[in-house]
Amino acid sequence: MTLALWNEIVELTVEHVVLVATSMAIATAVALPAGILLTRRAPLQRWVMGFANIMQTVPSLALFGFLIPVPLLGGIGKHTAIVALVLYALLPVLRNTLAGILGVDRAVRESAIAMGMTGRQLLWEVELPLAARTILAGVRVATVATIGTATIAAAIGGGGLGVFIFQGLASVDTAQILAGAVPAAFLALLADGGLGWAEKKLSPA
Amino acid sequence: MTPLVSFRNVSCRLGGKDVLRELSLDIEAGETLVLLGRSGSGKTTALKMVNALLLPSAGEVRVEGTPTAAWDAIRLRRRIGYVIQEAGLFPHFTVEQNVGLVPRLEGWPAEKIRARVHALLEQVELPPAQFAARYPRELSGGQRQRVGVARALAADPPLLLFDEPFGALDPVTRVELQRQFLALRREIGKTAIFVTHDVREALLIATRIALLHDGRLDVLATPAEFLRAPGEEVRAFLACLDPQGIPA
Ligand SMILES: Nc1ncnc2c1ncn2[C@@H]1O[C@H](COP(=O)(O)OP(=O)(O)O)[C@@H](O)[C@H]1O
Ligand SMILES: [Mg+2]
Repeated sequence: MTLALWNEIVELTVEHVVLVATSMAIATAVALPAGILLTRRAPLQRWVMGFANIMQTVPSLALFGFLIPVPLLGGIGKHTAIVALVLYALLPVLRNTLAGILGVDRAVRESAIAMGMTGRQLLWEVELPLAARTILAGVRVATVATIGTATIAAAIGGGGLGVFIFQGLASVDTAQILAGAVPAAFLALLADGGLGWAEKKLSPA
Repeated sequence: MTPLVSFRNVSCRLGGKDVLRELSLDIEAGETLVLLGRSGSGKTTALKMVNALLLPSAGEVRVEGTPTAAWDAIRLRRRIGYVIQEAGLFPHFTVEQNVGLVPRLEGWPAEKIRARVHALLEQVELPPAQFAARYPRELSGGQRQRVGVARALAADPPLLLFDEPFGALDPVTRVELQRQFLALRREIGKTAIFVTHDVREALLIATRIALLHDGRLDVLATPAEFLRAPGEEVRAFLACLDPQGIPA
């Protein structure tokens, strides 16, 4: 392996991590508060979850393609890739936020209210700590999936390890495909392990 | 003197069903009023109206003379201790944090909370050295209920609500906790509303028994009067005491 290739692997891996981290940060920043709001708005739950489920079923390559002609959000480049990755990552985080908070024991929630907790105290002191593990599991699932999906982002100029894979596919060069696929798989394992460990460390509920 | 709690023609409709119908009842300071009834008779619903977990669909419940609908619900609840069957302890809080919750919400200084929590744990016979740092999952059912009682007493509320607090315990532990409850009441003399479906428990701890049947107040009597009260539902409950009724 030449030094030039090695440098390129490192560079594209960093680019990949930035792409995934940005997308996950945005997706979590949107889905977590949205999930909390949804726990307070039962009638909306079906609609929002339905929409998020549909987004999830659109094949990723198609979604990237659809976004290219969209004004503001679309076009060729990183931001389009991030928009698509965020759309994919929303569902697992949203779903687990809902499940985690709605899964808090009825007796525990009722006690908290009966002790005179305000809505905010109920959320921060009871619901979120008890749901933290489930929510983080959603973030983990979404992160691992995003690391894989982000390789497709190269097709619309998003950069990252997918660049190797698409180049390799075009030139039927297995080594080059592997140069993209192996680090991506490694990143996914690392994220899964790290976030899985954090989950276990969280509240012993 | 105004009664501590007063139900005035209270009705409650839940999910299209009249769960309570025109309940009128006064609870005076210092008494232990037991709400007795079959399951589904509306006991829990009546209890939840006192701390505004539910509001009447007609009539009103007054606490210290003010209708619950007019109270600031948060302030009202912090003045009322609440103990339920499953204890409802916070699984991510230690025993000490569970018991100290309301004082903390009320902004007591940490030292005062600690002293109060330790005194209460002594009172419910859970030595703090041994129990303060435990999590609820490290306790037996009976210990959990005692923590629940300590938590309800923490901010020294004038009124306590109990919803079948000993219902899920084994008979031996239940009797122990009933005795402890009586001893505690002699010691601190608080007003309590206590829900149970167990007529023995009702006769043991009540100063007055309110028998609910199908959302209505059937009988309101002292334990001595209750034993002689007429009516089918009373007899159905008293039959539980009759040793003849117990199959060999
Ligand atoms: N939120 C609710 N929606 C509909 N029905 C309810 C609700 N809560 C209680 N009920 C009904 O009201 C009746 C009385 O309930 P409850 O007060 O819990 O009885 P108890 O505590 O005496 O067992 C039951 O038939 C129950 O099914
Ligand atoms: Mg009940």
